[in-house]
Amino acid sequence: MATATERLSTVQALYAEFIDTFGNVLFAVSLLAVWGVMTLIGVVIDQGKDPAAYFNEYPAQLARAVLRLGLDHIYHSYEYVGLIGLILVSLTVCTFKRVIPARLPPLRPVLVDKIPLHAFIEANGSEGEVRARLEGFFAKAGWHIRRKVFNGVEWTFADKHNWARRGVLVAHLGFAIIAAGTTLYWLKGFSGAVAILSGQTVQIPQNGDMLTVHSFNYTIKPTQTRGGLVYQPVDYVSDLTAASASGATTRNLLRVNHPLEFDGISYYQASYGYGVRFDLTQAGHPVAGVPATPMFEGDAFPVGPTGRSIQYSQFVGTIDPRSPSGVGADPRPFNPGVVVTVLDGEQPLGQEIIPLGRAVDLGGGYRLEPVSYRLYSGIEYRHDPGVPLVGLGALVLVAGVCISFYFLPARLFVRLEGEGDRWMVGLAAQTPKGYTMFEEQFAALVASLQRSEEATVS
Amino acid sequence: MSQFVTIFYALAVACYAAAGLLLLAFFLWRKGWLSAFGVPLAIAGLASQAAAIAAEALATGWSPTSNLYDSLSLFVAFTVLLYLIFARQYNLWYLGGFVLLVGDFFLAYAGTWNEGYRPLVPSLQSYWLAIHVPTVVASYAAFTLAFCTSVLYLIKFYLERSHSGGSPMSMGLQPAAAGAGSTGAMAMATFVAQRTGNTVQDETPGLALAAAQGDTIATWLMGIPTLAKLDVITYRIVAVGLPLLSLGIIMGAMWAKEAWGAYWQWDPKETAALVCWIIYLAYMHLHTRNQWRGERTSWIAVVGFVAVIFCYLGVNIWISGLHSYKV
Ligand code: HEM
Repeated sequence: MATATERLSTVQALYAEFIDTFGNVLFAVSLLAVWGVMTLIGVVIDQGKDPAAYFNEYPAQLARAVLRLGLDHIYHSYEYVGLIGLILVSLTVCTFKRVIPARLPPLRPVLVDKIPLHAFIEANGSEGEVRARLEGFFAKAGWHIRRKVFNGVEWTFADKHNWARRGVLVAHLGFAIIAAGTTLYWLKGFSGAVAILSGQTVQIPQNGDMLTVHSFNYTIKPTQTRGGLVYQPVDYVSDLTAASASGATTRNLLRVNHPLEFDGISYYQASYGYGVRFDLTQAGHPVAGVPATPMFEGDAFPVGPTGRSIQYSQFVGTIDPRSPSGVGADPRPFNPGVVVTVLDGEQPLGQEIIPLGRAVDLGGGYRLEPVSYRLYSGIEYRHDPGVPLVGLGALVLVAGVCISFYFLPARLFVRLEGEGDRWMVGLAAQTPKGYTMFEEQFAALVASLQRSEEATVS
Repeated sequence: MSQFVTIFYALAVACYAAAGLLLLAFFLWRKGWLSAFGVPLAIAGLASQAAAIAAEALATGWSPTSNLYDSLSLFVAFTVLLYLIFARQYNLWYLGGFVLLVGDFFLAYAGTWNEGYRPLVPSLQSYWLAIHVPTVVASYAAFTLAFCTSVLYLIKFYLERSHSGGSPMSMGLQPAAAGAGSTGAMAMATFVAQRTGNTVQDETPGLALAAAQGDTIATWLMGIPTLAKLDVITYRIVAVGLPLLSLGIIMGAMWAKEAWGAYWQWDPKETAALVCWIIYLAYMHLHTRNQWRGERTSWIAVVGFVAVIFCYLGVNIWISGLHSYKV
């Protein structure tokens, strides 16, 4: 049996190991590398598609691997979220173990000429005068001066941008705040999309708000480009009333890029389309199972008891017999029709464009007619209490990155050697980012000090 | 107005090509007159590109960043502008041949995407278009420049390795006059000082010696900053690019929130930008470690650039999504 002391020392050893590993920048960079690779996989492989789509796109083995490994929804996988968690842990440990403990060298005597960034200049005057002049010079240039005596020898130290060491902390904090904001959305937020036909009212399931689209309009501008005539959509707008469960209402024009904030939810004009109503008859009698209200693209209904079904696949604004597909370039409903797909179970048997208002014979006495269309507005909604945190985090993160990049903490070691009125001032500089990073500033500083000393002495 | 755009655009392509060739020749032969002509030509190219962009903005009444042609053109303008700024600051004129020829390639390629004026689709009709796109594109420009300095670093690093039969000395810190007193080392130190004006001794003694003995490639390479300085220059350029990319991604998220409802939708374009951000974040973190600065961080800057080009062009052309200019 392990004694309590042994168990304690095992825990301590494990803790030390954990801190060592998670506090290592190379470990952090390895996590970043894995993060990068996983993120890239999601760029290359389409996310959130139907399994069939992967079998269409890739060889069967690859498609199976994609699905089995969950690469079709990588960003929402436990592995991905867990990795972000690990990054946060590593970031926290690093921040408190490496970054917050001072990164500048301690105040101590050094061998000035053994530090690569060093210089000597002559100065005249009593030791007190020279030291005061030097300190005045550095203080004027924004350096914070400290004096310390080691073994009876007085040293002057000068620090610049010492506070900027906290930049890393700020950047890391920013990242953590963004992560917190995102988590808040997962815990408390919701989102969704609704397609609302003109004149229809729909309820938002999560909070009971009612949305009515009185009308939907779009503007399409035919434009001549070098590649030919294009029909460019330039405006989508819904005339919308939102009513909350508590009775508050608002009526607004909802446009892309101009969301509506109502009852803690943001509503967005996202898309539009054409709802189409179909008639299906057999021997002149209506067939049951055909929706009475307009259908949306992708919806299907059965053709009686035949086992076949009809899917409304696409709305065609302008049927153009001259085009090989029969679909004209102009999306506006000048000569409208619909593309329907006949399915046998899940299996597509064929597609056809049917002009609106024209009945086609499906065989077996069945006749199908797309009767009329009605525009619908695609509206997305989202309740995201994490947004203020994410915004704040982003700001903090950028501030931290800028502080870390643009303010270089530096420490000068200043040593006077000599006696009477003639002194040799030894200067050495160190930074947490190496010597080369500070080389030019050091040279400029020394040159300027030299000039000021020469001016003083003459 | 479109005639002006075409003329200024063609002028810019021509100026950059000429300036690029002159500055490449300057890199090879170090004749002062080559850069004396090359640099003003690069500036003239930039000016005519700016004129083309302004003329287009006037004609369309919109920030000219609505398609791949516009954005690539802006990317090249930023790349040249950043090059001029950094070249002036760190005496990097010799880099112009690479930067301008790469930039000119992209500008000429941009022309193939120019389909003329089109009104903006609803989601692009936002002030964010004028802020988000230029910010991201400016960061790409910085990363392109960082790629050029990194490649130069790596060339110098590996040539030093092959000339000295081993690895280069660790950067910047060793007095290069190690073994000073021998005539070879003295000649080398003097040569280095003359060619580069470097005060801190060089860390590529193999190259310096070869240059002193008349090796042409070594001579070119000794005329550029030391490895340690090249590394710092790359870091400083990344220090421009990374905050810009961070800001660009954040602004994109704000725009997405306004246009599509969610600030992040894992759309291929925004996700690819995140990959670039992660790579440069790794660069930055590794750069805090002495042993990793230099060769390895330079490779990361190269990988980062490949990712940027994939994100910029690859995703637009091969992978469609909400951001694709083709839709
Ligand atoms: C994987 C998680 C991370 C860990 C463990 C980590 C750790 C560290 C450490 C230890 C340093 C200081 C190194 C030194 O100077 O000795 C550092 C620097 C820094 N980190 Fe992180 N970091 C992480 C992620 C991030 C993220 C997501 C950001 C977001 C912007 C970030 C921003 C910075 C910045 C700006 C610096 C300063 C770099 C410089 O001065 O050049 N870090 N990080």
